[in-house]
Amino acid sequence: MRSLAPWLAGAVALAALPVFAPNSFFLHVAILILMWTLLGAAWNVLGGFAGQVSFGHAALFGIGAYVTMILYLKAGVSPWWGIPVGGLVAALASLPIGLVCFRLRGPYFSLATLAVAEIVKLVALNWEAVTNGPVGFLITGLPPLRVFGLAVDWESKLPFYVVAALLALAGLASTAWLRTSRLGAYLVAIRENEDAAEAVGIDTVRAKVMTLALSAFLAGMGGGFYAFYFRYVDPDAVLNISLSMEMVFIAMVGGLGTVGGPLIGAIFLTTVGETVRERFQVGHLIFYGLFMMLAIRYMPEGIWGRARKLFSSLQARVLGHGAA
Amino acid sequence: MALLEIEGLTRTFGGLRAVGDLSFNVGEQEVLGLIGPNGAGKTTVFNLITGYVQPSAGRIRLDGKSVVGLRPHAVARRGIARTFQIVKPFPGLTVKENVTLAAFLRHPARRDAEAFALDVLGRLGLGSRAGDLASQLTLLDQKRLELAKALATGPRLLLLDEPMGGLNPSEVDVASGMVEEIRRGGVTVILVEHVMKAIMRISDRVVVVNQGEKIAEGPPAQVVREPAVLAAYFGKRSA
Repeated sequence: MRSLAPWLAGAVALAALPVFAPNSFFLHVAILILMWTLLGAAWNVLGGFAGQVSFGHAALFGIGAYVTMILYLKAGVSPWWGIPVGGLVAALASLPIGLVCFRLRGPYFSLATLAVAEIVKLVALNWEAVTNGPVGFLITGLPPLRVFGLAVDWESKLPFYVVAALLALAGLASTAWLRTSRLGAYLVAIRENEDAAEAVGIDTVRAKVMTLALSAFLAGMGGGFYAFYFRYVDPDAVLNISLSMEMVFIAMVGGLGTVGGPLIGAIFLTTVGETVRERFQVGHLIFYGLFMMLAIRYMPEGIWGRARKLFSSLQARVLGHGAA
Repeated sequence: MALLEIEGLTRTFGGLRAVGDLSFNVGEQEVLGLIGPNGAGKTTVFNLITGYVQPSAGRIRLDGKSVVGLRPHAVARRGIARTFQIVKPFPGLTVKENVTLAAFLRHPARRDAEAFALDVLGRLGLGSRAGDLASQLTLLDQKRLELAKALATGPRLLLLDEPMGGLNPSEVDVASGMVEEIRRGGVTVILVEHVMKAIMRISDRVVVVNQGEKIAEGPPAQVVREPAVLAAYFGKRSA
């Protein structure tokens, strides 16, 4: 029961938010936060739990975005099918990536993922028959859809908000599931000491490949959502290394290996990012970078991790006084 | 038939022959001491048996079935567990969580794995520390934890790499008692150890290696008098 309460509270808050949204920019920021929550959660599954720091998640995001877009434009598959299919294709594509990169450990793994992402970007730039090369794809209209008898208005932000909220919840729920599962326990063992994990019979490569596939599925759905929301996909937009970095930062600032961390990280980094972008047209990234440095320097366990620590020490103090 | 058969085991690192043409058998429920001077290749033998290092040549069979080429987790599944000379706990996890991870190998359900982990911890006298972080244990308790993790995988053969290293004499007695207890539980043991008192007390048989090759084999009391063994440890003149 106790563990369900925050989920219910979160669902209610998500449902109530659009009612109180003052304008569509507010809803736009909320949509971005939810999309980044999903992406942060995707990265966190692999980086936070298994300790495998990927610098190449843009590739998985981009694959999801391209698949959703191409399915819609060339086969007429609606985005609500295209998004999960994009996730599945990203998960499939992650298998060979994992088999190659997981031969390496630590910083070498991270560099290999960076290289893979660049390769995927080069393929997207040059395989014009499939990806339209540097021109990319644009959708002008979305298919008509009726939900409970009501026509969906694609010009409003609300339907996108609903989809983003569902996706973010899916990301957080899979993290929560992972934390209590046997696979999750194996990942923590791998993060702590990979040789010792093998010694007690844990197939470390299999556990890492499965986790990468889960992570890729979530990141791919994030990419699919991006394509569907922004209606534009090209290699610079969806395969950019800055996307990979943003996922790392959100998970780190929020709190590595925690369930709520990506949500907190997404809220902070998206609002800080959007605010400084508005205030300082030139050089806003300087302030963004400064915020990140301070956060990592003073809260290495992340905002969520620090808050949890403060809460439990407060709890201990209160209970301690009660006993005395 | 012997439980473990090693035949012509060889491993070279570049020009260095770490293990050369080594053969020995270990019988069911035997305690075999594997001794030799520093750098003799004892730990490499363990790494070869458990799949951390692949042999350049030779055969390793458990119950007649080859384990060469298997990755370490697959060797553990076959029933060979090991401890590391420098203990490798999961430092950020509790003692109970450490051992539960190992117990998952034979007990897929978390409840069963935790129950078995607590059982193993109780047998090794670590029951009261179950909730402590592994990084907070004393060296003796860390060695106990290392042993508990290995035992929780339900092994038939247990490879112990210097379990007594760094312990004081009374702790060595405690640790020797634990190894004897494990053998009574039906597990076969290969023991790499420098503490001769422990080797003499608990080994049924001893294999002596020097520079990767076997130079003597037999009951402990007899082997330590062999000239080749004395020469390896103390130099030629004392032999």
